[in-house]
Amino acid sequence: MTDKQTYKVQICCGTMCYIMGGAEIHLLNEKLPVELKERVSIEGIPCLGNCEDNAEKAHPCVLINGETMPKASIQKIINHLLSTIH
Amino acid sequence: MTYYNNAVITKRELLVRLIKLLNDDELFEKIDRIPLEMRPRTNSPIRCCVHKDRAVIKYKIMAMLGFNISDEEDELTPLKEYAQKAIEGHSLTGDFLTVVDEACSSCVQVNYTVSNLCQGCEGRPCQVNCPKDAITVINGKANIDHQKCVNCGLCQKACPFHAIAYLPVPCEESCPVKAIRKNAEGIEIIDFDKCIHCGKCMMACPFGAISEKSQILNLFYNIKHKEEKTIAMVAPAVLSQFKANSSQILKAIKAVGFSEVIEVAEGAKLTTQNETEELQERLSEGAPFMTTSCCPSYVALTRKHIPEIQSYVSHTPSPMVYTTRMIKERFPDHKVVFIGPCLAKRREAFESKNIDYVLTTEELGAIWGALKIDVLNMDDKSCVSNSVNAESRGYAASGGVTRAIQSVLAKDNNLATQQIDGLTKKSIKLLKTYPRKAPKASFIEVMACEGGCINGPVNLAPSNVSQQTLIKAMNELVTELA
Repeated sequence: MTDKQTYKVQICCGTMCYIMGGAEIHLLNEKLPVELKERVSIEGIPCLGNCEDNAEKAHPCVLINGETMPKASIQKIINHLLSTIH
Repeated sequence: MTYYNNAVITKRELLVRLIKLLNDDELFEKIDRIPLEMRPRTNSPIRCCVHKDRAVIKYKIMAMLGFNISDEEDELTPLKEYAQKAIEGHSLTGDFLTVVDEACSSCVQVNYTVSNLCQGCEGRPCQVNCPKDAITVINGKANIDHQKCVNCGLCQKACPFHAIAYLPVPCEESCPVKAIRKNAEGIEIIDFDKCIHCGKCMMACPFGAISEKSQILNLFYNIKHKEEKTIAMVAPAVLSQFKANSSQILKAIKAVGFSEVIEVAEGAKLTTQNETEELQERLSEGAPFMTTSCCPSYVALTRKHIPEIQSYVSHTPSPMVYTTRMIKERFPDHKVVFIGPCLAKRREAFESKNIDYVLTTEELGAIWGALKIDVLNMDDKSCVSNSVNAESRGYAASGGVTRAIQSVLAKDNNLATQQIDGLTKKSIKLLKTYPRKAPKASFIEVMACEGGCINGPVNLAPSNVSQQTLIKAMNELVTELA
């Protein structure tokens, strides 16, 4: 683990994502396991527009290094980050 | 602290659907289809069957339309009819919670239950130690006789296999004033002579069986279709609920169709001033202490459960009342809606007669969702009134009223203060002792919700997030001045 990989998590703050669970995801930083601490940048971003066609299945949405994760939750994000960690 | 859960999601989805239908002029046509759409046959049912799930959805909508579930006269009455009445503004009764009996799972009468971990041991300490002789062993497993059990818990302590589990009744345990209990059928009933509208039972029930009665449809219909001029009064806690700056939030509220948007923090300034004067006056006259009066749930508590403490409660009106007065002076013909995180404000507004509607933060979010209004798409040019200050916005968090009062007192004041941060069985017990034995502090701030309004029952953001956002909203004002 010499060159530490970093991750960018962008949380959709569009209203639908926010009220359907997105607000909770802002607690992500507090829930990160030690191996991910200091390696994840977290920010809120305006609506990604993913909800237009398939609303119920999309929200809440996050982008992880630019890749969309629909129906996100803190645990799903952490599992995803851990699975890609080297 | 409530954990985010699917019952909350169901509630929000219902609110969004209702507003969408109303906005698209399809409410009457499609409202009775909502239960079918949300609970399709293809999904595995949450309860016993899809029909039960749909009935639950139907009655949750009925509560959202502002009705008591117990008011149902005919089971075949379609939602359409209730929606019609809701839009016309059927008269509200003063109780703002209703139990959706169809959803209430009638949790255990007896809290202790023997699990399949029971080994049927020779020692049988559960049976030996039961003071009521309630345990028999049937087919090698202990069994508790519900008629005899008195919930003492000795069997659980005695069992070396941890085979006896404690099963709570979440709504009853969360109620700080014992206002909710079962009827003969095991369904929960709220006693409104005791209820202080704190909303804790509603948050605690994992079946979402306790619903608030809302005015959302009536309000939205009047703004949209009657173009009724309605002014939004925004509680400071609302600013803590979204990831945006205050100006963006206030503009997004305006975009719903309100004629004006005014912060309750404007009225809070008057509360601070007058409450400080009242406090100084009372103390100089020899009163041992004074408590705040801005939390309506606490005020209801004093009235219903601690009448002896009433003479120590401040008479200064709440920020909501002052803000309403200011609005009524400037815009006498406009309707007024209070937007906040509070269930008890519904009751306070109902009693005040001057406030036409109460909308919760959660409902505001649902309206934005349905109308596709996003706070971050609003421009962030300041639209904040210069009569709002940081201390007034601070009312939304526990300790905020105290800080506001101290900000107007002389710097070297030695006012002893105390905060009751959350009404629980324990803190209520403590408050009950104060009229007999005065507390050390002479100013006591009481908040029904732990953490203050930012952790109210009908909010959107988790409390850690809202704490940070509120501080940001307060700092915005400090930096603007600098």
